Amino acid sequence: MAERGARTRRGGLNRREFLGMAAGAGLLTAGGSRLARAATAPTRLAAAVGGAKPFAGVTINGAMFEHTFSAVLKEMVPEFEQRTGMKVNFELQAFPVYNQRADLELSTRGSAYDVLNITFIYSGRWIGAGWFTNLEEFIKDPNRTSPEWGADDFMGGALAVFKNKKGDRFGFPWLGEAQVATIARPDLIQRAGLKIPETYDELMKVLAAVHDKDGVKAYVAQKLHHWLWIHFLHGFGGNVFKDPPENLTPTLDTPQAIQAAEFYGNILRTYAPEGVLSYTDDQMVTAQVQGRANISMHSLPVEISLADPKKSKVYDKVAYVMVPAGPKGLFPGVASHGLGIPVGSRKKEAAWEFIKWALSKETIWRMVKERDYTSSCRPSVLNHPDFKKEMTKNGVDLVALATKVFEISEKGGYMKYRTVPVFPQVGDKINKAIEVVTTRQMSAEAAMKQAQAQAIADLKRAGVKIDS
Amino acid sequence: MSPRADTVAGIQPPPTAPRSAPGWRAQRRRAYLLGLVPALAVLGAVTVAPAVYLLVTSLTPLRLVNPETAWDFSEPLRNYLSLLEDERFRNSVWIQVKLSVFTVGLQLLAGLGVAMLLNVRWKFLEAVRTTFLIPMVLPPIVVAIIWKVLYTPDISPIHHFLASIGHPQGAMITSPDWALWAIIIADVWEWFPFTMLMLLAALQIMPEEPLEAARIDGASAWQLFLLVILPLLRPTLLVAGLFRLIESIKAFPLIYILTDGGPGTVTEVTNYYAFLQAFNFSYLGFASAITVVMVAATFLLSWLIIRMVGLEVEVE
Repeated sequence: MAERGARTRRGGLNRREFLGMAAGAGLLTAGGSRLARAATAPTRLAAAVGGAKPFAGVTINGAMFEHTFSAVLKEMVPEFEQRTGMKVNFELQAFPVYNQRADLELSTRGSAYDVLNITFIYSGRWIGAGWFTNLEEFIKDPNRTSPEWGADDFMGGALAVFKNKKGDRFGFPWLGEAQVATIARPDLIQRAGLKIPETYDELMKVLAAVHDKDGVKAYVAQKLHHWLWIHFLHGFGGNVFKDPPENLTPTLDTPQAIQAAEFYGNILRTYAPEGVLSYTDDQMVTAQVQGRANISMHSLPVEISLADPKKSKVYDKVAYVMVPAGPKGLFPGVASHGLGIPVGSRKKEAAWEFIKWALSKETIWRMVKERDYTSSCRPSVLNHPDFKKEMTKNGVDLVALATKVFEISEKGGYMKYRTVPVFPQVGDKINKAIEVVTTRQMSAEAAMKQAQAQAIADLKRAGVKIDS
Repeated sequence: MSPRADTVAGIQPPPTAPRSAPGWRAQRRRAYLLGLVPALAVLGAVTVAPAVYLLVTSLTPLRLVNPETAWDFSEPLRNYLSLLEDERFRNSVWIQVKLSVFTVGLQLLAGLGVAMLLNVRWKFLEAVRTTFLIPMVLPPIVVAIIWKVLYTPDISPIHHFLASIGHPQGAMITSPDWALWAIIIADVWEWFPFTMLMLLAALQIMPEEPLEAARIDGASAWQLFLLVILPLLRPTLLVAGLFRLIESIKAFPLIYILTDGGPGTVTEVTNYYAFLQAFNFSYLGFASAITVVMVAATFLLSWLIIRMVGLEVEVE
């Protein structure tokens, strides 16, 4: 378990310091010895020659949310420990639990964790609040980061959210998520004499034609509507905020937003499995790999297991395509998650060593070749012929598909809503509104107006300026 | 009567008992206090100090991204005034009332019923009694996962069985009409053993005389239960009910795992709303105000119930 310690900060005590001091001298002693070891880390690193383990005796604590990448990384940690002498306590937690705990932990600026995942929707908040370490000094120092590591070999779109306005980097991405449409049973669409939908109208025709054929529900989703619904919102011409990040006045009650909510609520109510509003990622994917549900519009790394012959009944049928376009165009979502060093960490050198290893080309390649991991944010990996071959499923080049999604997103600039610090509050209102519309507790208009009013109240509480 | 009015000439009043040494009682009180001080200090540190800090925080707009707001008392009542206008908070209170009334009532009923059935001197039942405790001793998260499986049509054996006999059912946890009942059923299943244990213990130490007397007077089983057993059980029912009421206000694992407060806000109780505000949105000041209101309401409710129901028992 992560060790906790007290730390005096310039400018006075925070809550954590007060409690740490009250806990007694034993914690201070433990903290002091860890501090001493961390302070000598650069010396150790610089002195490492002839196979000496540069971080012998150093223990770092890290945490991420559960994902294929983090699970595979955790399995590989013993190799890193063997090579460096470092001990790594690496925790994995469920996505919402991780975010809450990390948020609380980071706010204390404490030293409990040395490596943390920077979650996409919290990146603006966590980096903007100064809770992560500026990595520029590590990257630019050739003694700490060899040029071969390739600090520039990361997708621009995926790296962007880990930079501040000056362009300084506070994290590096391990995952770039491109939102695509996954069709578990395209044969049912062909059997109905239709083609894979490219517009909303075509989508509705396809859903009606294939629903309950072979006992397969036409559509499936999970409960994070503030991720899965937004491309519909944009497709109908709406937005979450007026002009993020400059103008954060919510725009959830516009006619376009109401239309998008009605559209999506109708799809979930009519074409999705019973209980879909409580579905997690696992339940959604399981419904598809078992052939019980057909079309979804989620991120590619989540859906990739449908193409795995070891896990999926539809591996030889599944099709990955662009999400359909609405009246106002195509707006597939993108997200990226990364690794960073909390500002309170006392073992930044060791933490950076771990991050370099976790995101190195060698580690990523080993994950791809040895552990069936199929995602990367490094163009040198993505564009390698072997990787492209690995990522071609049923004739579809998934690297090209994901790259196109990132290009559309970068060109359109429509993802800025997601990384504003107050998005979680507004995202919650979106989730509730979609649930209410889907279950017919309220009309779409009433639900979105309520969401708008509640979002405004919340944002005012956060001190955000709202247009009158 | 004057101090010497009862003195009759020649008869001396009995000598009065010698008074205790001066300050002995004070010394005894001091000794008691000294003995209590360590416990009071721990209580103060563990309970009172955090409660005071909670109250202080509720008077600030504390947000984690702005630590300086921890000491902003410029508008101390802003959070409470905001609660008055917060429709979602009012809804959460109403959901909490419904949840508490039904869970406590059903737990007492179920606990009483099972306790009455088990209150028999039979070795087999004494052995079986232990199995009724299983739901209560399971970790709450395990209980929530069990009911998540039971409530998810894709994997629920109950749903599969009902579908196989031609009566497919929709998912309760995503139905606005049934989601709260799904929570109530799971909660009653988990906690009725608690009330059962307390009531069974009370039944087993119940004096036999009033029961015998009632039987001799010709009371039926129902009259025996209603007019003798129930009044004798009233203090236990009150204590068990109060325990469960306070616990129901802290309801969390089932809601977190099964419904996330939804669909919409039909299962979003006040405790859960406070959790969202504190840990999803980092509005610690606002969440503290919600929690202070909850604590005050719990104290008031407990006091009212004790006053109304009382602890005295009369059996005629």
